[in-house]
Amino acid sequence: MKKKNGALSKLYVILVLFLTYLPVFVVVLYSFNNSKYGNWEGFSFTWYDKLFQNRQIWRSLKNTLILAFSSCFLSILIGTAGAVGMAKSRFRTMNLLENVSMIPMMLPEIILGMAYLAFFSILKIPFGMLTLIIAHTTFCVPYIYINVQSRLVGLDPSFVEAARDLGASPTRAFIDVTLPLIAPAVLSGALLALAMSMDDVVISFFVTGTTSNTLPLQVYSMLKMGVTPEVNALCTLILLVVFGCIGLYYLFMSLYRRRAEKQ
Amino acid sequence: MKKTVLRVLSLVLLVSVLVLTTAGCSAKKQELVIFSWADYIDPELLSEFTANTGIEINYNYFNSEEEMLAKLEATDGGDYDIIIASDYIINIARSEGLLKEINKEKVPNYSNLNEKYLNQYYDPDGKYTIPYVAGTPLIVYNPDRVTCEITGYNSLWDESLKDQVVVMDHMRNVIGFTMKSMGYSLNTEDPEVIAKAGEKLMALKPNIRALDGDTPHEKLISGECTVGYIFTSQVSNVLMECPNFKVVYPEEGMGFGIDSLFMPKNAPHEDAALKFMDFMCEPEISARASIFTQYINCNSAATQYLPEDFLNNQAVNIPADVLGDIEFMEDISTEATEQMNAIWNEFKQS
Amino acid sequence: MTAVPETKKTERRISPAVIPMYIVTVLFVALPMVYVIGITFLMKDEVFGITNQVTLKNYADLFSAVNLKVFADSFVVAISTTVLTLLIGYPFAYFTARFSQKTRSFIILLIMAPFWINSLLRLNGWIILLKANGAINEGLLALGIISEPLKILYNNGAMMLGMVYALLPFMITSIYNSVEKMDWTLIEAARDLGSKPFSAFLRVTLPLTMPGVVAGCVLVFVPSMGLFFISDLLGGSKVLLLGNLIKNEFYQARNWPMGATLSIAMLAFTFVFIIIYKKVTDDKTAGGLK
Repeated sequence: MKKKNGALSKLYVILVLFLTYLPVFVVVLYSFNNSKYGNWEGFSFTWYDKLFQNRQIWRSLKNTLILAFSSCFLSILIGTAGAVGMAKSRFRTMNLLENVSMIPMMLPEIILGMAYLAFFSILKIPFGMLTLIIAHTTFCVPYIYINVQSRLVGLDPSFVEAARDLGASPTRAFIDVTLPLIAPAVLSGALLALAMSMDDVVISFFVTGTTSNTLPLQVYSMLKMGVTPEVNALCTLILLVVFGCIGLYYLFMSLYRRRAEKQ
Repeated sequence: MKKTVLRVLSLVLLVSVLVLTTAGCSAKKQELVIFSWADYIDPELLSEFTANTGIEINYNYFNSEEEMLAKLEATDGGDYDIIIASDYIINIARSEGLLKEINKEKVPNYSNLNEKYLNQYYDPDGKYTIPYVAGTPLIVYNPDRVTCEITGYNSLWDESLKDQVVVMDHMRNVIGFTMKSMGYSLNTEDPEVIAKAGEKLMALKPNIRALDGDTPHEKLISGECTVGYIFTSQVSNVLMECPNFKVVYPEEGMGFGIDSLFMPKNAPHEDAALKFMDFMCEPEISARASIFTQYINCNSAATQYLPEDFLNNQAVNIPADVLGDIEFMEDISTEATEQMNAIWNEFKQS
Repeated sequence: MTAVPETKKTERRISPAVIPMYIVTVLFVALPMVYVIGITFLMKDEVFGITNQVTLKNYADLFSAVNLKVFADSFVVAISTTVLTLLIGYPFAYFTARFSQKTRSFIILLIMAPFWINSLLRLNGWIILLKANGAINEGLLALGIISEPLKILYNNGAMMLGMVYALLPFMITSIYNSVEKMDWTLIEAARDLGSKPFSAFLRVTLPLTMPGVVAGCVLVFVPSMGLFFISDLLGGSKVLLLGNLIKNEFYQARNWPMGATLSIAMLAFTFVFIIIYKKVTDDKTAGGLK
């Protein structure tokens, strides 16, 4: 079996995690800073006050959640199905399809944004949530696909064959055998896709409508204009929610396990 | 892990369905769609406008005017009611026929505006635009750490300023002040002059600590840089934080710009837009707008509402004799732009 | 990213599961790409936008000295970023996969969580730390180690820090996926057969985790060719990378066709690199496994 981690490897993992969180801690700390420019001038809730008065931010937050979750959901379906299906398919345009589907990941955002701007206005699709979801789904698919695909390579196909031999339908075999095997890849791909969607500014700018502005667009503009402390406060709240969710999830899971053990 | 994924998936589905169903139902209200930089209009003014007129404001941001114009063209000037942008981009939008004429009868406060800022090159007959604020980039420096004398653009080349200067990350502005330092216009199209300016510009690179047009004031305040060529409001920000910094009106003459309000061709809520324009021309409102943005006020009737410290601020209140020697940055020929772009890329790459 | 090994051409099947991806790719990637490629053959409008005039000028301009240098610089930056993230990320993913199920999924969540807040803001956190009156300089000054603030920001080092920081999770998650599913008994077997730990790693672990390494390298290399805001923010805009060059064409020169041409060139370049890279690593993986 695999070996346990020694002290040195544990230290390494902790060090990398620490460096990852270092700038994040700074962001959290400075959200309580009284001064607008850098230097620490005492503890204050000024920026949180300002933040809660800014109604536009809360509207954008709602849009972002709609966008991120629906495009992430769609791209999970499309990307996972695509990767699994590709592994079973043989056709001539396969390689081409695979490479073309990766393009959104490789093209600078600005050019993709411009292309979508022209594309949707030629098709007369009004700019708004629909165009945002289309664009985000398109550039999220590769992240799911590439993760699932690299997981599928080297997976033993005999598992699926065995299930099929035992009389499982292809769907059954997929749900019972393939899905559990690729689940971690789907999850990490989804986390990446979610992060990409929550971080996209340039493409979103070009395809958004007047009522569908997203949080990243707002945050980016505010940062560019140097409205940093307020954004620090906002991101502290977002982090709080993210970690709250993670915490709740673990709490829930451990309670669930304890109950299962008792029974 | 499988259960985890299924759970995450179903949660995602649930959230997206929930949110999508609630998204559709917003009541129709009177609305005004504004398109500008983030934080460019005082939110208090916006809420006052809503309180006075009942018109809800939907403020959309852009980060670059080029993006804004591309968007405006793609929507055929349709989605937005009020845009605030700078003179040169308005000039392009006008030449593309994307502007809507203002019915001045509905903007009685137009008469408050200072004539000095009206009927400029981007709107010679004053039909389309209402000046919001004006500004000129200035040199600002920290006298405690700068040893040489700074009088104008040429001073930026001084050897003692090695790795200390911040200038805006903007091709036209930087090549523009280089040409001005040589005694030419900002808008020179002569390829020989541009080429010479290019050579001179390369010599500036060792002095450049950073190129930044968005937050150069932060670099000066933090002490990262000692000299900056930056925009009006940024100069103000520096002076507020570090009162000992000195402002220089470059002796070679200054660039100038006016940011204005305009309506795009097919603005959906024209009446609301005109009401907003009138509101922004009210003397007291205009004064507050200038104080908020820290740019030069364009409203003659607003002066009485401007506080002492605003009037004493060298960045936003420039003596008339100095402000006489100004020049707008106008659009130049494709050839000149291309030549400048090549120089700019080489400058940044070097 | 490679397709499954080639079988005989006689067999042709398309799984219906591919169809949604097929449609999305054709409609929303291929068609917009046709538009992008189309405008590379057009002229910039004198004022704004594009004219209908057909030209090859954009492609000729591609090979100017500055552009070639920028391509070379960006390539070096992208490769260094990829190598650095691989060197940092591989041990991390490897160690993480050796923790218990509960701990390791928690660590992966921890690595991903900060990436749901704006990347610009996280870079801003670094700026606050590194700037002239930032935490690091103030600390060193207070300790008397230095007498003048160090100029840590706005140079290539700061830029590389930003690049690695922004792209590390892509590498980690990809490699982690591969290590996590690896059959550890194989390493055991190699050790039993007398392999030294390091050679067991080179001959068994590395080939087994190669798909994840390749995926991670692609996920890091590709965006690092085009990222512009990191060199703007941490490099002080003094380093011109491909992303900056393309951005300049759009925002400063207002030359969309040239911007599109540069993007297409970058795309072609990335593809060539990835294909070569895949060829090389595929051979190695096959050799290691069979």
